[in-house]
Amino acid sequence: MTSATDVRPATRRRAGKARAPKPIHVQFRTIVSPHQLNSRWGRRIYWLVLVAVIVVFTLAFVFPLYWMITGAMKTPEEIAEMPPSLFPAHPTTDAFAEAWDLFDIGTLLANTVYYALGAWLFSMAVDVTAAYALSKLRPMFGNVILGAMLATLMIPPMVILIPLYVTIVDLGLLNNPWGLWFPAAANGFNIFLLKRFFDSIPRELIEAAQIDGAGPVRVLWSVVLPVSRPILGVVSIFTIVTAFKDFVLPLLVMTDSEKMTISVGLSQTAGAVTQNQVMGGLVIAGIPMIIVFFVFQRHIMAGLTAGSIKG
Amino acid sequence: MGILRRNLTAYGFLCAALACFAVFAWYPMVREFVLSFQKTDLINPPEWVGLDNFTAAVQDPAFGEAWLNTVEFTLLALLCGYAVPFVVALVLNELRHARAYLRFVVYLPVMLPPIVAVLLFRWFYDPGPGLFNQVLGAVGLPPLAWLDSSSTALISLVLVSTWMNMGSATLIYLAALQNIPPELYEAAELDGAGILKRVRHVTIPQTRLILLLMLMLQIVATMQVFIEPYMLTGGGPENATVSVAYLMYQFAFSQMNYGQAGALGMMLMLALLVFAALQLRTTREDQA
Amino acid sequence: MQRSTGLLLVTVLGLAATACGSGEPASPSAGGAEAVTITVACQPAKSAPKERQAWDDDVATFMKNHPGVTVKSTDQQPCFDPKTFGPKMAGGQMETVFVVPVTNYADVIGKGQALDITPYTSTIKNWNDLRPDVRELVTKDGKVYGVPNVHYGVGLVYNRALFTKAGLDPNSPPATWAEVREAAKKIAALGQGYVGYGEYSGGNTGGWHFTQAIYGRGGSILTPDNTKAAFNSPEGKAVLQTLHDMRWVDNSMGNKLLVGWESLMMAMGSGKVGMMLGAPDVVTDVVNKFKGNVADYGITGFPEAKASLSGGEAFMINPKATPEEAKAGLAWLDFRFNTVGKGRFDFARGKALGNPVGVPDNDVYGDSPTGKAIQADRVKNASLPVENYEPYVRAAATIPPKAEPVHAQELYAILDVPMSGVLSRKDAGIDQLLADAETKANSLLAAKG
Repeated sequence: MTSATDVRPATRRRAGKARAPKPIHVQFRTIVSPHQLNSRWGRRIYWLVLVAVIVVFTLAFVFPLYWMITGAMKTPEEIAEMPPSLFPAHPTTDAFAEAWDLFDIGTLLANTVYYALGAWLFSMAVDVTAAYALSKLRPMFGNVILGAMLATLMIPPMVILIPLYVTIVDLGLLNNPWGLWFPAAANGFNIFLLKRFFDSIPRELIEAAQIDGAGPVRVLWSVVLPVSRPILGVVSIFTIVTAFKDFVLPLLVMTDSEKMTISVGLSQTAGAVTQNQVMGGLVIAGIPMIIVFFVFQRHIMAGLTAGSIKG
Repeated sequence: MGILRRNLTAYGFLCAALACFAVFAWYPMVREFVLSFQKTDLINPPEWVGLDNFTAAVQDPAFGEAWLNTVEFTLLALLCGYAVPFVVALVLNELRHARAYLRFVVYLPVMLPPIVAVLLFRWFYDPGPGLFNQVLGAVGLPPLAWLDSSSTALISLVLVSTWMNMGSATLIYLAALQNIPPELYEAAELDGAGILKRVRHVTIPQTRLILLLMLMLQIVATMQVFIEPYMLTGGGPENATVSVAYLMYQFAFSQMNYGQAGALGMMLMLALLVFAALQLRTTREDQA
Repeated sequence: MQRSTGLLLVTVLGLAATACGSGEPASPSAGGAEAVTITVACQPAKSAPKERQAWDDDVATFMKNHPGVTVKSTDQQPCFDPKTFGPKMAGGQMETVFVVPVTNYADVIGKGQALDITPYTSTIKNWNDLRPDVRELVTKDGKVYGVPNVHYGVGLVYNRALFTKAGLDPNSPPATWAEVREAAKKIAALGQGYVGYGEYSGGNTGGWHFTQAIYGRGGSILTPDNTKAAFNSPEGKAVLQTLHDMRWVDNSMGNKLLVGWESLMMAMGSGKVGMMLGAPDVVTDVVNKFKGNVADYGITGFPEAKASLSGGEAFMINPKATPEEAKAGLAWLDFRFNTVGKGRFDFARGKALGNPVGVPDNDVYGDSPTGKAIQADRVKNASLPVENYEPYVRAAATIPPKAEPVHAQELYAILDVPMSGVLSRKDAGIDQLLADAETKANSLLAAKG
């Protein structure tokens, strides 16, 4: 946030007055007033709460992952020990290799990445052109169409799972990636986000291109898309993450063991291998998304709020 | 550009999306309706059977339990997944340190494929060497049966579900909180409002819209709970965790009775639509 | 109507037209009238490379002997997965030759999901040596829908090593339920994590094992005319009471509910479970798929049994198969599964591969000439102490087989509830659980007509 720079002079002033404890920076006003916060008790409570929150969050959200990773590094005997060891006695990576073979994770992972990237390319092509048409070409019944697309957001996927599956069966798309890609592209939320962003692109920009003789395709490609990078980034990441995490539809559509996704593959085999091998498989399955999160954290955080706040 | 030409171009751009929506979003809704009046196993030609699927679904031994469980799951999930993230967001918003870390950490489980969270918790719930009972034992508490008792199984599923989903709600609330104009708090403070009063009279009214929206999203999301019972309990013990979505899956893929599954799907859809309509009305009244 | 909507959708979507078309495994190949391609289920998984190789060798030999026939294998594990069976069948992804477990015969046949192979039975090798009662299971209204492949009755599988460790004699396994309880207590007393007696409670396996147990005690699931539930009986109560007491009084069943087939198999394979109800195929699976040590497992007769639930599987043919494909599929079954000394009955090869040869895991030919020849061959090549299985074989011969109830899956789902009830609640009311299940079962039967 930019306000960080505004705060500094004030801090220095305060620090000069009361030299002992460093006052707590206040970037923006919240429920607790800066004055209260920097009072003697306010500060104590603040630090107490802060430490408590950090500890609780770490225990609640990081420790399970630590337990998963160290579980995978234990032997089958050690993982069943009671009480459990906090750290593996003889850390080994055998379980990862075993899980890799037993679950056939190479194939599963390659499949999942392939489906996710395919879903991304196809949905982007479909949704961007649709949003562009609805936003800038404004056809007759455009609002009706947009409304009908948004209405699908009201119907949760699970409710139409059976008829969707039946439709996919009718079309002969079982064990065919298109059985996942077509439904992925029918995403009202993506179209809504894209359209709203396109709406905010100034008309003049497009008119200038049109005067230069650019057709709608050229306008989309060389005017709209370049200025829409932020929203394209957000929509891309969410499409990929959603496709990667999806479980129920791939469970039904990709039944061939050579074509399963990682989630489905793990669910099918997890009952038949040892606990440390299961954990090994889970760690490997979790890594790609954790990496995506590390790299695109900013986009993901922005995307979370993009649709909900101003909409 | 003439109107006709512009429309043609526009529909040219729209056609792919229209086709995808038509076949994979709109048509399935119609198909569900048709399916619910048919007897079909997808191999032999379907027969029209009137309301038979609906009566069969209602008469299924687990029908009543499935609805009760789903409602109970939804209410528990609201408590954990709706109220908790809001409180967490309130606290996070007050903190001036480690903000990036806390936001990162709370969203981490959301990034994991649900199957990872579910299988991880399956191990935690193990009554023997599972983490939870070991922790309980370490602090001198008796072990719990978690998934293995009809009294704790459902709440155990809610716990997994909350763990893996609360990150997004928390971050959305956090963003909403940051949009509240600071002047309002200052004004409230000048009026002598304490912290709790400020929350009640400033924070909640200011985030009302997002709270209502999230309430709806949350209910719609939790009403379709499937992967947790599917992977963790198989609907047991004693049907304590059979959800409507799970039962629908059983109808279709264990009993191969797609029509009956469609009928149950229709009921779920209707329930959600009624709920959404109520919700919409309260939101409207709220704004008016 | 369904087809035409499908076609309509394809045209609407345009794009899809190129994408589909690969989904018909049963289409005859274009070249020559002779050429035919079939897909066959049940190739061993990649994790069992030696057995997979043996299968692939058989496929190659078969194709050499049958010019014009191309065999493609699928290796989905387990070969029959109720979760994917319906979807595969509906989506035209089903193999030409597929496996169905006995639990699902009635369902599959009743729904027209298997080809009527009556005209071909005379050409099936050793058809008349198959046990008549087993053949009856795949027959409906005088028409035959499958080739029985495996058959067995229930016994008591036990871990001999644990028996020794607990001071019990592995050579005189329990013969009554009282002895089972005593043995289970001693094994559970070995320490943390040891389970005397393992039992299922969910995912339809609870109801399945309840059925095994109540049959053993002479009870029934349904009345003879299949119109009413019959399990709310002294036998049914005895089953639940014994389990309840073992779980809560003796504390010999562990504290974890077992949901789904793998759960108990995995526990058995880990070598910490003393006993379970099961057929000899449990031994084979525990050893082959769950890393159990083959010498540890023995099997004895079903304690106090008056009848035994039939277990097993049959091969069935895709209803969409052409006559040529059906014939080729049956020829494959003859070659791989029905010939003494060949394919799966090539015990010499099995022994060389390290399979647990000697487990009497298939009684599909009974004591017909074929059955005797197979058994002689099995004993000759046995890689394990066959005497570990003697008590089972002796007992099995005297216990009459009993078929699954109609609507087995739906009834098993209902019966999961009392099973999980007694195993999860100390204060479970057995009478109430059975009465509730009875009400549910009766309304199910009424609804199904």
